[in-house]
Parts: sequence; C-alpha cells; structure tokens
Amino acid sequence: MTRARVLLLVPAVTYRASDFLLAADRMGIDVVVGSDGALPLGEAVVRADPDDLDRSVDRLACTVGAVHAVVAVDAPMLLLAACVAARMGLPHNGVQAVAAAMDKAAQRRLWAAAGISQPAFRVVPAGAADDAVRTAAAEVGLPCVVKPVSLSGSRGVLRADDEAAAASAAGRIRRILAEARGPVDEPLLVEEYLPGREVSVDGLICDGLLTVTAVFDKPDTPDGPTFEETLLVAPSELPPDVLARVTETARRAARAFGLRQGPIHAELRLRERGGDQLPAMLEVAARSIGGLCSRALEFLDGVSLEEMVLASALGRPVEPPRLSRPSGVLMLHPEVDGILRAVDGAAAAAAIPGITGLSITIPVGQRVRPLPEGDRYLGFVFATAANRNQVMAALRAASERLDVVIA
Amino acid sequence: MDRAARVQAALERSLLPAVIARGGSLRLLAVEDGVVTLQASGSPGAVLPLTARIEALVRSAVPEITSVRIVGAGDLQPAVRVDADLGERVRQVLDREVNRSVAAHRGHVAMVDVDRGSVRIRLEGGCQGCSLAEVTVRQGIEPLLRAMVPEIVGVIDVTDHAAGKDPFFSPAKR
Repeated sequence: MTRARVLLLVPAVTYRASDFLLAADRMGIDVVVGSDGALPLGEAVVRADPDDLDRSVDRLACTVGAVHAVVAVDAPMLLLAACVAARMGLPHNGVQAVAAAMDKAAQRRLWAAAGISQPAFRVVPAGAADDAVRTAAAEVGLPCVVKPVSLSGSRGVLRADDEAAAASAAGRIRRILAEARGPVDEPLLVEEYLPGREVSVDGLICDGLLTVTAVFDKPDTPDGPTFEETLLVAPSELPPDVLARVTETARRAARAFGLRQGPIHAELRLRERGGDQLPAMLEVAARSIGGLCSRALEFLDGVSLEEMVLASALGRPVEPPRLSRPSGVLMLHPEVDGILRAVDGAAAAAAIPGITGLSITIPVGQRVRPLPEGDRYLGFVFATAANRNQVMAALRAASERLDVVIA
Repeated sequence: MDRAARVQAALERSLLPAVIARGGSLRLLAVEDGVVTLQASGSPGAVLPLTARIEALVRSAVPEITSVRIVGAGDLQPAVRVDADLGERVRQVLDREVNRSVAAHRGHVAMVDVDRGSVRIRLEGGCQGCSLAEVTVRQGIEPLLRAMVPEIVGVIDVTDHAAGKDPFFSPAKR
C-alpha cells in the first residue's frame, strides 16, 4: 500500500462524520467507511452494527481489505473499532480497556483500585428497589448525583438533594434508559455531588504517553438538577501547577483502564481544599470531544483535532498543538419539550465580533426535549478572540440574541 | 497558475471546508483589476463571521489582490460555467444512478453547476441535514461520478444542511 488507508466506523447518528472525512481528505488518506446507517448507494459503505458485534467484526474483517488503522468516529462505534482492530492485528486500545471506559461503574471501581481521586460512589444493581437507591444516596452523602452507567452528553444525569429525590431520579433514569436502549436494565451510579470548577481535557495517548490537545474551562456548568454542557473556553486559566495536576490525573485515569492508544476526553472537577484546587475525576471516554466542539479548536498550523486523531491512529508523531487564539464553543439546548418552530436572530448572533460560526443542528419542525431526556444539542456557536473574556462575552451575547421558539 | 487559480486554490485549501461544514458555500465569481468577487450562499452564519479572515487569507496567498468583495446569492446573476455536454452527462448519472437510490431515503441530489471539472451539488429532502450526508457524497456520489464521467475531478456539496427539515439520520448523542 502506498497511501495510508483507514477504516472509519461512522455511526448513523453522529455530528462528526463530515469533520473526519474532511480531515482524511486533507491528509490524503484513503478511507473505507463502516456504518450502521444503511446508505442508499449500495456498496459505498460496509454494514457495521455495534449492536451485532460478532457478525460486524466478521463482515468488516472479510470485506474492507488491508487498512493501516481503525478509527471510531463517535462513541457508539468505540467497542466495535477495538474488536475489529484486534481481529486485524492493528495497534489500538484493547477491547477490555474500551469496554471499561464505556461503563461508568467500571470506571469508578478501577479508579478506586488505582487510588485516583473521585466522588464517593455506590453502584445500584439493575432492578434494585428504591430503598437501595435511598441507601446509596445516604452513604455517599447529600446532595448526590444519580446517573446511568451508559449514555453520554449528560443524558440521564440528575442531581438529588435528598433520598426521596434520588429514588425519584432513579425511576426517571430507568425510563430514559428503556427508551434509549430498549428493555435492557442496567445498574445506576449514585455518587457524591462535587461542587467546584469543571474542566475537560482532550488528548492523544500513544504507547501510554498522553499528548494534551486542549484543556477547556467550563465556566457556566450548572449546579443541577441537570448538567447541560454549556460554554467551553480554551486555553484554561488554571495556574500551571493545577493544570499539571489536572492533566496528570486524566492520564492516570486513562491508564487505569488500560487505554494506551488514541484519543481521550476527560472531565474533572476541582475541589477547594485549604486554598488549593485538587482535581477529581468525573469521567473519561476513549474518544475525542463530542458534538461539533472540536471545531472550536484552531491550532497554529491549521491542523484539526480530527487530523491529529487520524495521524495518531496511523502511528505518526503528534506534537502538542498550540491554539492560534483563545477560542470557545457554546452548546445550545432546548429548554422545554415541544416542536422547534424557529431559531430567530441567527444572523444577528453571527455578526457579533468574535463569533466565527453558528450551527443549528435540529431542523425546524422536529421535536426537541431538554435534559435529562434529550439526546441532542440544539446547536453550537463558535468564537475566537484576543482573550478568553472576549470569547466568553461573544458567546454569551450570541446566546442572548438567539430566540428559540418551541411550541 | 493565474490569479484566479491561485485564489481558488487558497479558498479550497483553507476556507471552503470550514464554510461548507458550517452550512454555507463560497464561490469565486471573478478576479478583475486586483479585486476578487466571491459569492456567498447558504447559512449566513457560515460566511459572515469569516469575512475578515477570507480577505486576509486571499490577500496573503495572492499579494496582487487589493480587495475582496463578497456578494450574496441574490446580488448577482452568477457567471455559471457549465460545459453543456459535461453537465448533461453528470445530470444523467445523478438521475439514473444516484437519485433512484437516494429516493429510498426520501432524498434527491441536484446538480448546481460544473466548473473546471468540479461538480457542485445540492442535497435535498432526506439528504439535506443528514448526519451521513458527507459519507454519501464522499463514498458514494463522488467516486461514482468520477468513474462514469472521467473529466470530473471533484464534487463540492453546497447544501445548506442547517436548513434541512427532514434529514434521514439526525445528529445526536448516545
């Protein structure tokens, strides 16, 4: 093979297909696509169903031919990518490591064993009665957070201020899971609520070494009862010593699962202790940042995050990138359940100095739901400016100019 | 390369992907007396905020350019350059090979124009705003067109995907 050839596993439901394909095109990489979205142009895409793992692995291994790497474009394809890469003998995170990173209960247990700072937690077994949830809430301390061990994007995550609220949250989360996953019950995680600043770390692991690609501050993260992803701004304003602790904690957390190759996206909170800020792990995923958020990152050499992910998968060296300017993204969420009738003010929002992009990702006329039930963002606003405060001001001003009509 | 080709190359290399990814499109209409005229279409949020960067990039890539003018789709009758025969052959492939298939997803692909071997297409119906639209274009439509119409060197999707009302697959998180 003269040109690099990559198997991209693209879930039908994703924000990220175009960014990965664009990255591959810019890098001159040949791509073969596997997807659970049956495309109408017959042979263009190999059927790859993450819910039918064994047959999908067989089909992909037999049909795609020789490739240099397997890359999951988004969360639903992570496990399948690991399985296919293992079958093909390609460098990739191991199946067990990826599976652990997809299960928030497994994460907590592995981190506990590794001595990594995290919230106190209890795992409530599938089908357990409300009393078990109440007991778990009392044991971790109130307020607490109740969440499914699967799902992403804060879906199904609820804060509870007392034991009765925790039991009620568990019932609601089980209904969300039934809708999302069908009649498969799963354990719930009840964990200590950690107040404090939240940050996310994106990076690429190569042979166990972490190259940080971005640290975002999340200044508008809500206190609950739901936890919408809102405003992300980079670079982080954390002092260098705190930043070093944050990235080291993320690295150790990924290592605890056995993740040794590819992107990670980690979320942490900072506990205030005696004037110091101590990082505590919330979650790590074996993928890069979700939604369209990677578009907020403009690196000095013009390389995108997706290009770095592909380069890393191909075993090419990835240098720590530098942002060309402070930048940020604001994720928009529906505030009520209903039909999206209009998003007015987009042109006015886009015209604000510093705003570099605005993408509404739900078509007018479709039903929208807020968290914890909602499974999609209303849209994304992007900004760059000379400093962080200008980035945040531009994004907040853009949000104020948007008039989302839901009826 | 002449000036127009250098401007086009700069746009395609550094700006067009970002504009298209944000639901817009930008095409080169003319380069005359150091003035570049570009036509913007699609989502207003895709091009408007990039105006300063577009001018800076074009002037940096082609120093002879003194200014960049961006007009909307309704401001000018675009100087569409369609090789009649080539365009007809592309249209036939789309109708016979592509649209019969994408109709299964309530979709339709329309040819906008053909310019120097690049086909501009607009995705409609279930394809507009579909989270796998880019896969359909890059893995399906483009190789098919290049195989059946060898003069074609590339396909540019100029769809305003943000305006799609009934995408077959909607982006979401799981």
